[in-house]
Amino acid sequence: MIAVESLGKRFGDRWIFRGISFELGRGDRLIVLGKNGAGKSTLLKTILGLAEPTEGTARLPEGDPRNSVGYSSMDMTVYPFLTPREHLDMAGQLRGCAPRTDELLGRVGLAEATDRLSGQLSTGMRARLKLALAMQAEPSLLVLDEPGAGLDEQGRRVLDLIVEEQARRGCAIVATNDPGERRLGNLELDLG
Amino acid sequence: MNSIWAEIGAVVRKEALTEMRARNGIATSALFALVTVVAIALATFNRTIDKDMASGLLWVAILFAAVITLPRVMVTEEEQGTADLLRMLARPEAVYWGKCIFNGCQIMAASFILSFLFFGFTHVGLESPGLFALSVFGGSMGLAGSATMCGALVARAANRAMLAGAIAVPLLLPLVALGVSGMRVAIGPIEADFVYDAGVRAVIGLDCYGIATLAIGVLIFPFAWKS
Amino acid sequence: MEKLIKYLKWLFALAAAAVTLWSFTVPDAAGFQQPEFARVFFWHFPCPILGTILGLTTGWFSYKYLATHDIAWDVRAEAAVELTTIFWLVTMASGILFSELEWGTWWQWDPRQTSFLLVLLIYFAYFALRGSIGDETRKASHSAAYYLAALGPTLFLIYVFPRLHQIAESSLHPTQSIMQGQIKGEYAYIILATLALASILSAWLYRLRVKAGLLLLEEPSYGNLETNRSDTAHPPVVRPIRVPDESRE
Repeated sequence: MIAVESLGKRFGDRWIFRGISFELGRGDRLIVLGKNGAGKSTLLKTILGLAEPTEGTARLPEGDPRNSVGYSSMDMTVYPFLTPREHLDMAGQLRGCAPRTDELLGRVGLAEATDRLSGQLSTGMRARLKLALAMQAEPSLLVLDEPGAGLDEQGRRVLDLIVEEQARRGCAIVATNDPGERRLGNLELDLG
Repeated sequence: MNSIWAEIGAVVRKEALTEMRARNGIATSALFALVTVVAIALATFNRTIDKDMASGLLWVAILFAAVITLPRVMVTEEEQGTADLLRMLARPEAVYWGKCIFNGCQIMAASFILSFLFFGFTHVGLESPGLFALSVFGGSMGLAGSATMCGALVARAANRAMLAGAIAVPLLLPLVALGVSGMRVAIGPIEADFVYDAGVRAVIGLDCYGIATLAIGVLIFPFAWKS
Repeated sequence: MEKLIKYLKWLFALAAAAVTLWSFTVPDAAGFQQPEFARVFFWHFPCPILGTILGLTTGWFSYKYLATHDIAWDVRAEAAVELTTIFWLVTMASGILFSELEWGTWWQWDPRQTSFLLVLLIYFAYFALRGSIGDETRKASHSAAYYLAALGPTLFLIYVFPRLHQIAESSLHPTQSIMQGQIKGEYAYIILATLALASILSAWLYRLRVKAGLLLLEEPSYGNLETNRSDTAHPPVVRPIRVPDESRE
C-alpha cells in the first residue's frame, strides 16, 4: 500500500535521517521510535509530502491523498475559532466525502463539546478532534505523530480501537517515544 | 473529485467565521485607515491637498494597509500550526482562491473606508465615482493576489513580517503607478474628454494587471504552499 | 588543455585592453555636452542586453527547478541571477554617471531611471527572500516561485513602462538611437566588441560560479578511509524489524 525507498532528509549539512526503506501492506502497523530530535516527525512529514525529501521517494496509496491518507500530529493545530462540528463539516466539504460529524465526534468522545470553540478545549480534547479528522475519509493509510500525548485513559482506549480498525482497512504509521504505545504495532523502526 | 467551488467556498467560510469571531483583520485595517488619514491631515496642516498629490497619498496608504494586513492570512496559518491541517485537506488552488477572495474583499472594504475618511478629512472632492470604484476594485485584485502569494512565500521565514512587505511592494509598484493615474482623473477636474479617456485606459490597465497577478499567482502558489 | 585555457585567458585580457584603447582612439561623439565622456556609453549599452538575457535564463532555470526539483537548477539560477544583478548595477551606475556629465544631475527621477530602480528593488527582494529561508529545498522552490512571479512586473518595468506614450515624452533617455542610425561606423563596432567581451566574461564567471555552487552542495567525502558519520544520523539503510506477536502483551 505504501512504499518508502531510501528516504533521506538533510537540514544544512546535517542529515536528520537517511536510507529509510520499507513497504507496508494491509494490516501493518509501523511504530517509529526514537528519542526527541531523532527525526520522527520530519520522517512522517516527508513521507506525507509535507516536507520535501533530500533524496529517495515515498509512494502513497492510490487515489486523492486527501482521502486516502489521514494524518494527526502533536505540532499540528486545529483552528482555535472553529468548533469541532465546523471542523468536520469543513473537512468533509474540502475532501468531498460524507462529514459523519456526529458519528465521529461520538466515537472519540467529543459529543458533549461539538459546539464549543476549539481554542477553549483542553489539549486532550483537541487531540481527539484531530483523530476524528484523520479518520474521517476512512483512509488507507493513517499516520499518527505522538497520538497518545495529552490523552487520558479513556482516550488511549479510543486510540487503540482506531488503530485496530485501521489495520482491518489498511495500514498505519505511528511515531512515539512512549514505550507503552509499542503495543499498537507489528513493525518497529528505530531512529535511535 | 469534488467541485473546486465547494472547496473554495469552504475555505472562504472558514476565513469569514474566524474573522467574525477573532475580529483582528477588519478592525485593525479600519484603525490603520483612521490613523493614516489623521496622520496625512496633520502632516498637511489641514490645507487642501493638491489633487495630483491626493491620488498618490491615497494609493500609498492603501498599498501599505494591504501589505501590513494581508500576508497575515497566510502567516497566521503557519504560526498557529494549522497550515499542515489545511494542506492535508484542501487543494492548493482552493486555498489560493479562497484566501484571495477573502483578502480581496477585506482590502476592498478597507480601501473604501480609507478613501471615505480621506476625502472627508482632506476636503478633496471626487468627480468620477465610477472610475474611482473600478480602480479600487482592480487594485484590490492585484493586492490580494500578490499579498497571498508573498504571504505564502515568507510564512516560514524568520523575519516574515517585514519580509512580506519587502518582497510584495516592488511587485505592486507598477500597479500603484496605474492606480495613481486612474485615481488622479477620478478626483478631477476632468477638463476634456481625452483626460477622461486616459483615466479609463489607466484603470483598464490596472484591472488587467490585477487579473494577470491573480493568474500568475495561482500557477506559482502551489510551489510556495507545498514543500 | 590547461595550457590552452591559460593562453585563452591571456588572449581575453589582451582583447579587453585592446578594445579599451580602441574606444579612446575614435573621435569624440558629436552632439553631446561633454563629447569625450560619451564613451561611457560603450560600457552602458551592452549591460542591459546581457542583463536581459541572463535574467530570462534565470527564469528558465527557476522553471526547470520547479519542474524537476533538481537542486542543480537552483545553483544555476543563483549563478545567473547574481550576474544579472551585477549587470543591472553596472547599467545603473554608468547611467547615473552619464546623467551627471550630460544633464548635470546625478539623479532626476527620469522614468527610465525610476523603472530601473524598481527592477533593482525586485532583485534585492529576491536576495532578501533567499537569505531568510534556511531549508535548502524550500529556499530553492520559494525563490524560484518568486522569481517567476516577478518576471512579469520586471519585463513590464524595463520594456513597457518607459515606452508608454505619456512616460516616454517626459524622459530624457534616448530610446531609438540605434534604430535611427545615430550609432554607426566605428562606434557600432566598438559596442559590438564590448558586448562580445562582456558576454565571454559572463559565461566564464557563470561557469565558475556554478562549479563552486555544485561543490558546496557535495558532501564531504573521505576517500577510502572509514567514513566519518558524525554528521549523518544513521547507517546507510534503515529497515523496520518485525515484532513477534508473543513478545507483545
